[in-house]
Amino acid sequence: MKKILFALGLAAVMAVPGYAQAQAREVTFTTQLSNYGGDGAYLVLYLTDADGQYQETLWISGEKSKYYKHLRDWARGSGMNQAEYDGLTGASVSSGRTLNVTLELDDALIDSGYQVRVDTAVEDMRDNRSDVVVPLTTEGSGKSVAGRGYVQSFVYNLK
Amino acid sequence: MNIKPIVIIFSLLLMSGSALADDDCDDPVAGWQPRENLRQKLEAEGWKVFRIKVDDGCYEVKGRDPEDHRVEAEYSPATFELREMEREDDDDDDHDDDRHGKSRNDNASTNEDPVSPKGIVKGRPTVTVE
Repeated sequence: MKKILFALGLAAVMAVPGYAQAQAREVTFTTQLSNYGGDGAYLVLYLTDADGQYQETLWISGEKSKYYKHLRDWARGSGMNQAEYDGLTGASVSSGRTLNVTLELDDALIDSGYQVRVDTAVEDMRDNRSDVVVPLTTEGSGKSVAGRGYVQSFVYNLK
Repeated sequence: MNIKPIVIIFSLLLMSGSALADDDCDDPVAGWQPRENLRQKLEAEGWKVFRIKVDDGCYEVKGRDPEDHRVEAEYSPATFELREMEREDDDDDDHDDDRHGKSRNDNASTNEDPVSPKGIVKGRPTVTVE
């Protein structure tokens, strides 16, 4: 009996640092901007958990980090820490254009309550926190949603 | 009710906890230096710092050392004394314990970009504007 309990305890202890092998999945995020008529938009794609808590930056369009504070929810969640977005930035997106971002995401994030969010900002125009909020699910793949601010439509496609 | 098995299992868990906690730093918080200082110190030594976080009372740094090896190192927050240095070879199994269970798959990508501090995104995204 004691031996069984010992084995059980040992198994419980050993199970703690065990990790499932994660698989990557290719996802394309397509963000079409409306013809808002201003300068190029700064926008950020990022992941939050179901409660809206920031998890990770996927992409930032807009090269001057001094303006990143206008991507308000993201700025608060990420602390605008450079390590959060290093290597994940590019040019801002002009009015009416479409941004396609393709990346490999951990499969475990899909259908697990994670959300994709987009914050947008344009110089001398208003900032839009959570312009887009969509859950990252298999079902939601390919379904276009409208944004609240400069984003006319947003869709992600899982491969 | 026989509580013996529960006691045994809990004591085992506690024992393993204390065994794992050997590398903890115990600098009093009042004496901690800002992590930005550590970043500057390491960058001055030729490091490329991806991230510094607090783990078990230590500053845990992820980045590339001056020889361009991917490393994970722990420093005392008060003295910046090196406690532990782990070199992560690109083709090694990744023992990085991501607390959210989002373990990353370094085998899949050997790219050199310092992207993805938490390992959710793999490699650099492909981006186009139409």
